[in-house]
Amino acid sequence: MKLTLRIWRQASTDSEGAFADYELDEVTPEFSLLEALDKLNDDLVARGRDPIVFDSDCREGICGSCGIAVDGVPHGPKPNTPSCRQHLRSFQDGQTVVLEPFRARSYPVVRDLAVDRSGLDRIITAGGFVSVDAGTAADADAHQFAHQRAEWALDMAACIGCGACVAACPNASVSLFTGAKLLHLATVPTTGQERARRAADMVEASEKEFGPCSVYGECVAVCPAGIPLTAIAGVNRERLRSVRRGRNRDD
Amino acid sequence: MTVSLEKAAPTTPKRRFPLSTFAAKVVMAVTGIVFAAFVFVHMVGNLKVFFGADHFNEYAAWLRDAFTPLLPHEGLLWILRAVLLAALVAHVGCAILVAIRGRRARGPHRRRALPLRTFGTRTMLVTGIVLFLFLVFHLLDLTIGAPPAATDVFEHGDAYANLVASFRRPWAAAVYIAAMLALVLHLVHGLWLSAHDLGVTGKRVRAVWKVLGFAVALVVAVGNTSIPLFILLGVVR
Repeated sequence: MKLTLRIWRQASTDSEGAFADYELDEVTPEFSLLEALDKLNDDLVARGRDPIVFDSDCREGICGSCGIAVDGVPHGPKPNTPSCRQHLRSFQDGQTVVLEPFRARSYPVVRDLAVDRSGLDRIITAGGFVSVDAGTAADADAHQFAHQRAEWALDMAACIGCGACVAACPNASVSLFTGAKLLHLATVPTTGQERARRAADMVEASEKEFGPCSVYGECVAVCPAGIPLTAIAGVNRERLRSVRRGRNRDD
Repeated sequence: MTVSLEKAAPTTPKRRFPLSTFAAKVVMAVTGIVFAAFVFVHMVGNLKVFFGADHFNEYAAWLRDAFTPLLPHEGLLWILRAVLLAALVAHVGCAILVAIRGRRARGPHRRRALPLRTFGTRTMLVTGIVLFLFLVFHLLDLTIGAPPAATDVFEHGDAYANLVASFRRPWAAAVYIAAMLALVLHLVHGLWLSAHDLGVTGKRVRAVWKVLGFAVALVVAVGNTSIPLFILLGVVR
């Protein structure tokens, strides 16, 4: 099949970007989106031109490295699927497909389709960790932890940190990401000691660089880890709890 | 996830209104629920129009003299007005703050290709403005009685006659019905949104909240819309 890829080219964070069209021949519907870009880059390099820069690593949807907006939708047309698992079979033969970086003020473009998502790291740095002494690895059964709670904590821990939720949001809100982390750590019994402080610090860090949530639900539609809308309610649940408890108290 | 912790946060706006987004959202949720409760009770009162002029005017008079002599004449009314006005100022103020922060956080490249599912969410500002303009019109029409919003025959104390006279004007009836359309859109999303702002994570509570929010919005809009419709049809006169 043939495709026209309209790709955002930008030399650096501070330079102006623009779309450029590339014809892609001899690809098949089985190609993943990133494989199509690999092929295009091979062609570009062979002709002595700059390849298109994009983030990619595991190519199996577990690392959270990749992230391209396809026709305005982060990751691509197939819901809850990372860019590396999107395939050309989603497109018609001869279609023009617009590829651009994840858009948000807090995601400055590094180059072409690669953006700097370190704003997410700064939220984790603010409180997404456990600072109690863990000592040597405890016996696995030392903490009684019911099955359903463990499953729920795992569901919330499934976030791969790709940041598509922010790019999907018209307000560039990071609530799904922050909420998933807060609910994950609030559910696990060993991480409860600093629950209130963590909520206050992580929400503060989130608001510093990201927008407010209006529950468009677009984040949930694109999330490759299937984090539910409930995670968003988790942000204010935990934050309200920290107001009640006092943010500087141990839980 | 690219780990680059040494990087500093991009420059944040120099002046930031000293209210956290979290606080603004909670204020909006609480005041929004106050409004939802108000429009529900208001609608129940409105439906008394179907029980005749005496019943309707009796209710209007009771509103003025409720809880006397504990409260002075019109005491309850003015307490409600003060609470609603404060809630309105807070709700609108926080809405403006949140809207500005959202636009700023998104940056110059707006989100494209939003599905129809998000129509109610996208139009929250629009329906909010429509409801505010309607509120001004509604107060001029049936509370203050200032023409041209009100009819020429407006008379303080005869709530029933004022209502029927106003709704006999097809354009006025259309304004009320259009406002109810905006209200149902605003309430359905707003009430669902409030569950998130107030941190409701329980599966059953969320399900009940969603259904209840939808029901309240629909019942209020349908109940209120029935009044201009039945007046225009000549059933209520």
